[in-house]
Amino acid sequence: MRALLLVSLMVMLGPPNQAIGARDGQSRRYISLAPATTEILFALGLGEEIVGVSSYCDYPPEAKTKQAIGSFSSPNAEKIIALRPDYIFATGLEQAMAVNQLRQLNLKVYVSDPANMAELLASIREIGRLTARQIQAETLITKMRAVLKKIETKIKLIPVERRPRVFVEFWHDPLTTAGGRSFISELVTLAGGVNIAADIDKPYVHFSPEEVVRRNPGCIILVYMQGAAQKENLGRRLGWNKITALKNNRVYNDIDPNILLRPGPRLTDGLDELYQRLYSEKCITTGK
Amino acid sequence: MHNHWKIKVILLFSVLFLAIALGLSRGAVHLSLAELILRENRHIFALRLCRILTAIMVGSGLSVTGIALQAILRNPLAEPYLLGTSSGAALAAVTAVLLGISAIYLPLAAFIGAIFTVILVYHLARQGGRIAAQSLILSGVIISVAFSAVIVFLISISGNEALHGTMWWLWGSVQVYDLKLLSAAGLIVALGTAVIFILAQDLNAISLGEEEAIHLGVNIETIKKILFFTTSLVTAGLVSVCGIIGFVGLIIPHIARMLFGPNHRLLIPCACILGAAFMVFCDMFSRTLFAPLEIPIGVITALAGAPIFIILLKGRQQVE
Amino acid sequence: METVLEISHLFGGYGKDTVIKDAGLKIQKGEFLGIIGPNGSGKSTLLRLMSRVLPPQQGTIKFQGRDIQRIVLKEFCRHVAFVPQDTLINFPFSVEEVVLMGRIPHLGRLQYETKQDMEIAERCLSLTDTLSIKGKGIDGISAGERQRAIIAKALAQEPILLFLDEPTSHLDIGHEAQIMDLLKRLNRDKSLTIVMVLHDLNLASEYCSRIILLDRGGVFQDGTAEEILTYQNIESVYKTTVIVNKNPLTGKPFVVLVSQEK
Repeated sequence: MRALLLVSLMVMLGPPNQAIGARDGQSRRYISLAPATTEILFALGLGEEIVGVSSYCDYPPEAKTKQAIGSFSSPNAEKIIALRPDYIFATGLEQAMAVNQLRQLNLKVYVSDPANMAELLASIREIGRLTARQIQAETLITKMRAVLKKIETKIKLIPVERRPRVFVEFWHDPLTTAGGRSFISELVTLAGGVNIAADIDKPYVHFSPEEVVRRNPGCIILVYMQGAAQKENLGRRLGWNKITALKNNRVYNDIDPNILLRPGPRLTDGLDELYQRLYSEKCITTGK
Repeated sequence: MHNHWKIKVILLFSVLFLAIALGLSRGAVHLSLAELILRENRHIFALRLCRILTAIMVGSGLSVTGIALQAILRNPLAEPYLLGTSSGAALAAVTAVLLGISAIYLPLAAFIGAIFTVILVYHLARQGGRIAAQSLILSGVIISVAFSAVIVFLISISGNEALHGTMWWLWGSVQVYDLKLLSAAGLIVALGTAVIFILAQDLNAISLGEEEAIHLGVNIETIKKILFFTTSLVTAGLVSVCGIIGFVGLIIPHIARMLFGPNHRLLIPCACILGAAFMVFCDMFSRTLFAPLEIPIGVITALAGAPIFIILLKGRQQVE
Repeated sequence: METVLEISHLFGGYGKDTVIKDAGLKIQKGEFLGIIGPNGSGKSTLLRLMSRVLPPQQGTIKFQGRDIQRIVLKEFCRHVAFVPQDTLINFPFSVEEVVLMGRIPHLGRLQYETKQDMEIAERCLSLTDTLSIKGKGIDGISAGERQRAIIAKALAQEPILLFLDEPTSHLDIGHEAQIMDLLKRLNRDKSLTIVMVLHDLNLASEYCSRIILLDRGGVFQDGTAEEILTYQNIESVYKTTVIVNKNPLTGKPFVVLVSQEK
């Protein structure tokens, strides 16, 4: 009995080329499972074609008007199928299991999981290819490259020893920072800074407060993924009053974490903001 | 008390069919049964059918192993994960993720972990050629606690984001769309259930007591070993594919026994159907209560199971 | 006279302990054998050894001439039944269901009970005066009723050899007499061989055709009630003073306790 049901199941799921998707004559339909990919799709002008997003997708504001298909780590397979997407765009790691399931249901999924700028730009190009928006993709890439080039020229002449030493704080308890493997570590370097945790080859690192004192950053960037980061609390940590960043009041919590942490079109905006914090006029004259 | 069993069985089947019908039609998108057959809805139909089959497999498998364990350990609190399969599987899964093994091999790693743990528990509990019920329970609990501590330790030192993807494990999932995996697990569950049903007479005898069973001609050490092996295999298969789904293996046997009596020849098939219906309903609720958000199915079974268990407990206390 | 059970040079116990030391015994068909002895003398152990619950450490036990370790357990249980001292059953089987389980040795694993099996169960229920409670749960009846139900189950096995471990300990004197009389009847009319461990010396005296007095793991003496139940034997084994009279009706020895306190 069970065998019979399984066979009928296989018959119904059909051979791979009978994929789910838009009916003939209609425009393509895309679903994005992550805020980063949603931003990329919108930037490529695919606002109309997007039929579903995760509940966390909030930029651009139009994204909030789209159908929600579940949260970040558990997208609703049924909802997704009901929307008949031609392609689904997801990110890696946390979404790996969901991606697996969707592929088993004969849905096409593209995973964008860039670890650095080069991979992000390649990913944008690929998404452009899959959605027949190559021109828009190249335009976006050129725009992002321009920002990179502009900053690169400005910091080219500054020797490494005089570049600001930066501590990126993701969360206070436990104290979490960006290791050398993280995307934001590369951003710090591109912005002309030196990530004090770059020598640790992991994406996330737990530091003890004493370790930060020891490494003495000149600049501290607070990028909490949830909740407001309080600058004042840092002074209360034992020994932190000695840190150069606090002595010179170079603690910044005013960059929107979403433009620094989402591997999407706004990342170069985030890079620009970061560069401005690191190299504000005050900073260049004092040299650290 | 156990009279009118024929009527009860018919009612039970009706409940199962109702559950399947509801499970097929309700979800993030409500479709009537007639609409489901339409060609354009065939993907949703297939998806839901897959989940329902998995739910039936999990529900019946956990219920039957719960019954077998409660009989051979003569302990009404025995349940399928008692002997360490769940923590062994979870530890293996977490370790595999930390070692960077691709998600496709996770079920296999979990299965190996579960079997290995069972062998460990068995050897700890063995004295000569005999396995005493008390020793089994004790060593199962000890190993579970130890492994859970190791799991927490591993998670705390790693900060690996991929682990978030394995959290569904703790609360179970019947969203298994890999047909090969499902068939393999289904085969194990079907065979295991068959073995347990064949031994129904022996289970009846063992319920009277181990010495009593010997006096009735039952080779209890052999039967215990077979049942131990079978229940472990079935539980390992289910945990490695669907994660940890609690309460089902504990309360369905009790409810089935209340409705159909302790005679395992009737109890086992009825518990299968009852467990299957229960899981199909739980799956349906997990999809519809807060659509499009899906509540992990282990949460639903716990939310349904805890009050039922309290009612059962109160009922027993009143009788005493 | 057919030898039903034969024990030679038997050593046995739990784990590494040896409780029964070098015991030897021959039980003939139709005997009503009582095993008595002080606490710790090994009465229950001997019974368990004879009924295959405990494996012997040394020596042999033969049932109808065959080594019992070589007989398939289920076949053995078609001829040999056991009534334990007390059975606590946690599962709500009905009395009738429990008695029917006595038919398990005669049924294949997947076989269902036949009409004949049901009739045998009925008969055993009526013999033990448990017919009226056959529908009740075994976990909800009194200790005495439970004991009679267990005896009925053992009888349903249709054994030729019946072991009993203090089967009347929970019964009132009325039911005690009833069960013992039933056993006596079965022993006499069906040649059911009975081996019973007893606490009550006078019960043994009344009913048993042969008594074995155990002392510290060995057979102290083996004989009729008159031979065994003497004040010398009892003082020697039980280490207590008694007076032995005669039952005025049956003439059997009657042991009276003598208190040492004034």
